[in-house]
Amino acid sequence: MCKGSLKRGPLMISKILIAYDGSDPSKRAFDFGLDIASKYSAELLVLSVVRLPEPAVDVETESLVESGGEYYKEQFAELREKAASLGITPRFEVAVGHPAEQIIDRAEEENVDLIVMGHRGKTFVERWLLGSVSKRVLSYAHCAVTIVR
Amino acid sequence: MTDMWTLATLWLGLALVATLLSIWLRIATALSEIVVGTVAQLIMGALISGALLGTDQSWIKFLSGTGAIMLTFLAGAELDPDVFKLKWKEATGIGLAGFIAPFLGCAAVAYYVLHWGARASWLTGVALSTTSVAVVYAVMLEFGLNKTSFGKSVLAACFINDLGTVIALGLIFSPFTMRTMVFAVVSIVVFAVLPWLTPRFFKRYGGRPSELESKYLLLCLFGMGGLAVWAGSETVLPAYVIGMVLAGTVGKDHVLVRRLRTLTFGLLTPFYFIRAGSFVSVPALIAAPMVFIILLLAKMVTKFVAVYPTTKAFGTPKREGLYTTLLMSTGLTFGSISALFGLSHGIIDRTQYSYLVATVIGSAVVPTLIANAFYLPRHLLGKTEEEATAVAQISHVQGQSEKGAAYD
Repeated sequence: MCKGSLKRGPLMISKILIAYDGSDPSKRAFDFGLDIASKYSAELLVLSVVRLPEPAVDVETESLVESGGEYYKEQFAELREKAASLGITPRFEVAVGHPAEQIIDRAEEENVDLIVMGHRGKTFVERWLLGSVSKRVLSYAHCAVTIVR
Repeated sequence: MTDMWTLATLWLGLALVATLLSIWLRIATALSEIVVGTVAQLIMGALISGALLGTDQSWIKFLSGTGAIMLTFLAGAELDPDVFKLKWKEATGIGLAGFIAPFLGCAAVAYYVLHWGARASWLTGVALSTTSVAVVYAVMLEFGLNKTSFGKSVLAACFINDLGTVIALGLIFSPFTMRTMVFAVVSIVVFAVLPWLTPRFFKRYGGRPSELESKYLLLCLFGMGGLAVWAGSETVLPAYVIGMVLAGTVGKDHVLVRRLRTLTFGLLTPFYFIRAGSFVSVPALIAAPMVFIILLLAKMVTKFVAVYPTTKAFGTPKREGLYTTLLMSTGLTFGSISALFGLSHGIIDRTQYSYLVATVIGSAVVPTLIANAFYLPRHLLGKTEEEATAVAQISHVQGQSEKGAAYD
């Protein structure tokens, strides 16, 4: 499902942000984004977000930031190889915070034309406690958003 | 012996449940352990026996106490000494303001509004004076402020704030005797020698499978903790300061810190937080919820009054300053340690302890819940209220029209 920006003119895709969390839906989102980037010769930014538990607690927070960063570095190595086979050199970044907030912010800062992200089914309790990442990105992003199922 | 292993199985089972809950709900492990401890005690007390958890058994007290010591040591070791040297004036200013206002304000509210005794009121001030370094650190990371001058000052200030809390906890309730003098003199010598001795000792004998580093650090922590208790003080005071003075050496050895974290989170802190939670009386909380609300308001108002003007004085943009101040909530670690100290030393009763722990949890959780419930991306926070509402509404309509609202 895709939401196009109403504020701009014709949709030109020159920069894509893929939100990646290592899950199967995000892997599919990466493949989808890679395919689009290859067709449009678009610049690619892969963003992963380390989400901290709430409330943040001494020692555990620092530990999570470190282990999260290392986890994504390993994941990025695989993605980099995959992208290289298509002649694409993505940029990889790891942010810390609420995933929706970080994705929306980074997309604006980088002025991307399209955000691609996976869809993760959540229970009612998870939605109530954590909120929906894709719904928030879809609601507040300045650009087109594609949710890959 | 069978009883001991059975009891250990029960505690580790509860710890595992708490960890699974923290993973599923993405909440802090410490929070889930406190809640699991409270619920387990409530259920077991109602169905079987209130003593089933064996919270007063000496080995459980030892593991729990060691958990508190290790946690405060590791928290102190997270200090960035280079930043602190550079920003110590600002950090001391904000840190003292963040400590003194809630300390005096919450103590006054407990004494004059809730009519608690003087010692219980002082302890309330101590327990609610802390600032969670972790919460502020998380906010700084999200805003990218951790690399700015303001961010570094505030982070260093949180350590000063917590140092104020542990010093107050360690000294206010202990009689000033010859023992206190001995403890103070030995502490000064040890705190001065450790940063010089430790790296040299580790370089000469460390890095072997025999885990010399862990044994050395535990020796220092237990030794100083024992001396503190002998002097009528509290074990976490020297542990926190040892962490701070070793932050530039041990704190930078990531491999060693990780091994210590494994020991701490894997075995020790579950005993500490579950035990702390088991003393919370749910019936007492339900009986008079206004006490909790009054303490929570006192904590948030006094913290705001002290910290927000300070952030303004540093020329921080309004939204960052406001957000940082609002999230300067009570740390679960130092808040619960202070409350448990009060309960175990007879300074507060179980009802007062329950209110303090509930307030500590509340001040950490409520801002998060509010932030989630009234979520608005922070790039809209800087706009005027009308602009922000209009943009939010337009975006929402766009999302709805694309059936986007149905996603996860």
